[in-house]
Amino acid sequence: MNTILIQILGALATILLAFIVGMFYGGAHRKVIARIQNRVGPPIYQNFIDVLKLYSKETSINHGVMQHMGPVFAITASITSLMFVPILTDGNWFSNLNFSGDLVFLVYMMVFGSLGMALGAGQTGNPNSAIGVTRGLSQMVGYEIPFVMAMVALMTQFHTTSITGMIAVQQQSGTWLMFSNPFAFMAAIMAMLGMFSYAPFDIVTAPAEVSSGPISEFGGKYLGMMMTSGSIFAFVKLALFVDIFMGGASNLVVLVIKTFALYMIPVLYGVISPRYRTEQAITYFWKWPLFFGFIAILYAAF
Amino acid sequence: MNSLILLLILMFGGALFAFILNKFVPALRDIFVVLLMLGVSYLFFSTGISNRLNFDVLGIHMQWGFTSASYLFGIIVVVLGSLALIYSTAYMKGKDRLGYFYMNFLFSIGAMLGILMSRDLISLFFFWEIMTWSSYFIVIYSGNDVDRRGLKYMIFSAIGAYSMLMAIVIVNSFIGSFLLEDVFASIFAIGSGYQIAIAILLMIGFGVKSAMMPLHVWAPRAYSESPMSYTAVFSGALSKMGVFGFALVLFNLVSTQNWLINEVVAWLAAITSVLATFYAVIQSDAKKLLAYSSIAQIGYIIIGLASNTYLGVMAGLFLAVLHAVFKSTLFMAVGAVERQVGTTDMTKISGLIRRMPWTFVATLISIIALAGLPPLGGFVGKWMLYEALITSGHYYLVIMVFLSSTAAFLYSYRILFGMFLGQEEPEFAHVKEAPLSMLIPMLILSGISVLSGSHPGFILEPIQSAMASFGFQSNLPHESWWELTVLFNTWGDKVALVNVLTSIVGVFLIALAFITIKGYKNQRYVTTKDISSSGEIIQPEDNMTFQIDFYKPFERAIWPLLKRKIDDYYTDFGKGLEALFDFVRRFYNGNGQFYAIYVMAFLALLLIAGTKYFGF
Repeated sequence: MNTILIQILGALATILLAFIVGMFYGGAHRKVIARIQNRVGPPIYQNFIDVLKLYSKETSINHGVMQHMGPVFAITASITSLMFVPILTDGNWFSNLNFSGDLVFLVYMMVFGSLGMALGAGQTGNPNSAIGVTRGLSQMVGYEIPFVMAMVALMTQFHTTSITGMIAVQQQSGTWLMFSNPFAFMAAIMAMLGMFSYAPFDIVTAPAEVSSGPISEFGGKYLGMMMTSGSIFAFVKLALFVDIFMGGASNLVVLVIKTFALYMIPVLYGVISPRYRTEQAITYFWKWPLFFGFIAILYAAF
Repeated sequence: MNSLILLLILMFGGALFAFILNKFVPALRDIFVVLLMLGVSYLFFSTGISNRLNFDVLGIHMQWGFTSASYLFGIIVVVLGSLALIYSTAYMKGKDRLGYFYMNFLFSIGAMLGILMSRDLISLFFFWEIMTWSSYFIVIYSGNDVDRRGLKYMIFSAIGAYSMLMAIVIVNSFIGSFLLEDVFASIFAIGSGYQIAIAILLMIGFGVKSAMMPLHVWAPRAYSESPMSYTAVFSGALSKMGVFGFALVLFNLVSTQNWLINEVVAWLAAITSVLATFYAVIQSDAKKLLAYSSIAQIGYIIIGLASNTYLGVMAGLFLAVLHAVFKSTLFMAVGAVERQVGTTDMTKISGLIRRMPWTFVATLISIIALAGLPPLGGFVGKWMLYEALITSGHYYLVIMVFLSSTAAFLYSYRILFGMFLGQEEPEFAHVKEAPLSMLIPMLILSGISVLSGSHPGFILEPIQSAMASFGFQSNLPHESWWELTVLFNTWGDKVALVNVLTSIVGVFLIALAFITIKGYKNQRYVTTKDISSSGEIIQPEDNMTFQIDFYKPFERAIWPLLKRKIDDYYTDFGKGLEALFDFVRRFYNGNGQFYAIYVMAFLALLLIAGTKYFGF
């Protein structure tokens, strides 16, 4: 009984942590963009205000059941993925379901949300939503391949497919995997640019082209839930990269430093880049990232 | 009487009787075929695998009986056959020549059972031909445009049949027996070159039916243009006969020294699955999309079999069972839409979700299984396949599989969006849900997809005994792991399916409750014309549907790969032959005087040559 209670509390603490960190990072993102564009920008806690406002709103219309369930799919995927990603390398509080799944599972679990969300966006009937979804799915085919190549390279190099196994490898050898297989790291980082969908890969929500794309028919609580899910998911991706390439984190401060450093890569790359066309965004990932992934597997296998 | 003979007599006799019954009492035909199939299913399940029947025909010794491996495929055949026939009673209602249709339907199911129970090459070939012909007759059932849709299928089937026959003759000339067990026992004694030749010839035969590249060009048309109730069996069960044959060849006729064959087959299958997936993405007809997707999915199955590892073969067979389940559901759902709306062209239909909700549910579940997303069975198969390939060192092959299954998300979404989501147009306001006898088979099959995700043991157990009959021994860390709900690979990494399911369902329900409890009652439904449109007011007659050129940007990105179709090469080959024949026709121009000149010229030549070289 006691262990179950601790597990539930641990899960709640993890979700809360992911939510807060993700929200602050979102605020930091807005701030960074503003400063580079020589504006003051919103305060760093602006996203909290936004999400609180959205949750307190009353939603009065929908286009059907699938639209109602779309944000629920999204948050289900974010939280479930969060449960399987190790947050800290030691301590019991954040080890939710870390030992019940491996990387291949997580790659699939991370797709689940966007597909569920896509169903909801599809039912709204807004052509911009559907265009956004097709762009997003096409881009996913682009970045998933170098990412998976990097993962396969690491799996074959260290003979484990689980994240905890990768952390253990790094703790034993004392080197981060980003140095053990630098090519895999490069391929994965370039894939991460696509995963975060910031400029130049913001083709899904492209405001001036498809008026926010999939989310254009979602307001109020729906939008609030999607913002929550997005923040948690951003944290999941960062924590996963920290676990795999940067040796995990032993306490929360180290975690925040590492994830923030990692987070700045897509943010700073994006802030100076204009937007790609969809086919450019796909083929971007099939050039250098694919090459690095190819080399990474060769490096790992021989 | 031996129950094996009874099974075949019931099947083939029943098929003929259905044809005659349709002539005299058409009202009883539907009930008869369904009851017959259910009876045959009962007989099949009570037969078991120990039953063997030996007899001699024209001095050739033959043997019939199921092994655990063929029994596994037999389960697919009878379950799918029964459900597809139940579905068919409503789907085919009002169409003509139903006697012809049901006769060939039952013939092909009977032939499949015959293939599975053959323990010698002669009866295997015999039933294989019956299967080919009966499926050919259904492909051309609608009667129009016969040579274009049927000819390709027939030509490729003939190529497959001849190469199979050649392989059988070579085998017999070396071994002197047609029995499979004799062949398996002494195949490795003959020369390595002949071994490879036999394997390749047989694989051409089986590859045609399983639509493996480059022998797949018949499949898109044949799958999409036969009636959907039959395509459910065609793609679900009949293509699995090719997979069964591949398994026999790869496990029993190829020795481990010839590992290159396995690699080549796996890579061909991988290329098949990637290219077929890309073609599926750019289709705009739901049937064609599913047809290409079938080709791609059978690619995965054959990769699994050719990987020759315990986990990989298990993944291949699991995906074979599951593909039969979800793909036939999808073909049935598309058939339901076709029957209720009149077309499957996704540029024409949209927004059926509120008209046909149960068909949507069945489609959604099957699509999740197809895409391989976690809580359903497709994930189990995909996971095992990936882990098998990674742990056995097929690094680049696994990337191909990943590419193909990520691109599969595109067409998965396309088919859901194209038929059920999007703008709800007024012209579809009258559409009604499909009748119950079509819905029930779909929902039963969807239920199997759901159950196989959290408790795959009930499929893995027969697979495990099938693998034992192929001669595989488990090398996984947990001997009895198929009883569990935890998947392991050979490195000991695992996925606990029940934890996954609990987490997904738990979070989903909590979040759904959170968003529903407060205020959902006060929400009202608004039509899909009432959308954010930057200030413009959309009128009900405005067409806001986005369906044409759905994945155009993706198409542009992959264009270099799609520029040249394999079909074109065959067409070029055909054109080349035609040109050759045209050239020959210049000499054989049907004019008697020219022939007289040829004879004279030949005689003159003979005379000159004769005096010069032979001296007479």
